Amino acid sequence: MSRSLARAGLVLASRLALAAIFLYAAATKVPDLAAFATDVANYRLVPAALVPWAAAAVVGIEIVVGLALLTGFYARAAALVAAGMLVVFIAGLSQALLRGIDLRCGCFGGDEPADWWTVVRDLFMLVPAGIVLALGRARRPAAEASSPSAGGAHLGRISTRY
Amino acid sequence: MALVRHALALCAAGSLLGLGANALTPRPAPLGHEVAAAADAPGAACQIQGLQAAIPRISVEEATPLCVACSALFVDARSSAEYEAGHITGALHLAPGEAVDPVLWRLGVYKTVVVYDRDPNCSVADQVAKKLLEHGVQDVRVLTGAWPAWTAARAPNAAGSCASCGPPATAAKGSP
Repeated sequence: MSRSLARAGLVLASRLALAAIFLYAAATKVPDLAAFATDVANYRLVPAALVPWAAAAVVGIEIVVGLALLTGFYARAAALVAAGMLVVFIAGLSQALLRGIDLRCGCFGGDEPADWWTVVRDLFMLVPAGIVLALGRARRPAAEASSPSAGGAHLGRISTRY
Repeated sequence: MALVRHALALCAAGSLLGLGANALTPRPAPLGHEVAAAADAPGAACQIQGLQAAIPRISVEEATPLCVACSALFVDARSSAEYEAGHITGALHLAPGEAVDPVLWRLGVYKTVVVYDRDPNCSVADQVAKKLLEHGVQDVRVLTGAWPAWTAARAPNAAGSCASCGPPATAAKGSP
């Protein structure tokens, strides 16, 4: 019992921490998406014509992922997207640093330079995403949970809301 | 499988939300327009905040004979577009954000390396020169007066007289 409580607490803490990071990251970028587009361009990973679209999409996905993690709806799917984004960020930062490209990180708005510490920070952020993915339990639908027969017959069955 | 499907749905919803946010923000990303890296955008290179490093200078008068005699390698620190539009004959293009290692072999062949910028007040040439010094290039100078002084003096440019130094090369064409 205490073990499952500890596990639930760990998942909740990971979810909320990741949600806070993603929502904060989006909030710092939304006021100046033009500047973020420039930061994206400096990574030289996206064709120039697609850069503004990619910049807008990244910020929107950060918001949706943050809200999903915050509310717990589709939290595991959100953690999967968060992990995917972090892997792309880590790859983007690493290739830029290895190629000697001197650029702003663009992670949380502002003028923060990209360096290997930024990569390490993103690697650490993979930990809560992994915890939510690996240990997070999907919710049972309310109707199923309230029905004694269905609830008993399908105890522990995973619902479709990941 | 449902997990991946839901993840893709979140991405799609997020992308739409991002486009909506872009329409509402005071400084939107310019959809439908190209956004190039700062180092490649014409005129944008000088917006990079930099240092006025203590790099030795060389005047156009001193540099011209070195160009004609092929005893110096010129490094163009301006944007790709500006380089394509015209550059000192045989100059290597190296923007501040680009890696030095792939072109280091080429720099080492010459006794002197002269870096030039788009305008005399720009510090990008200093940034590139500093980077070259850090990579062990010995004699690096920044051209006084930059590109405008070179063209004003009618010194050899892409159609000039020191083409025998070899064809222009970009940083990407680094392998020997």
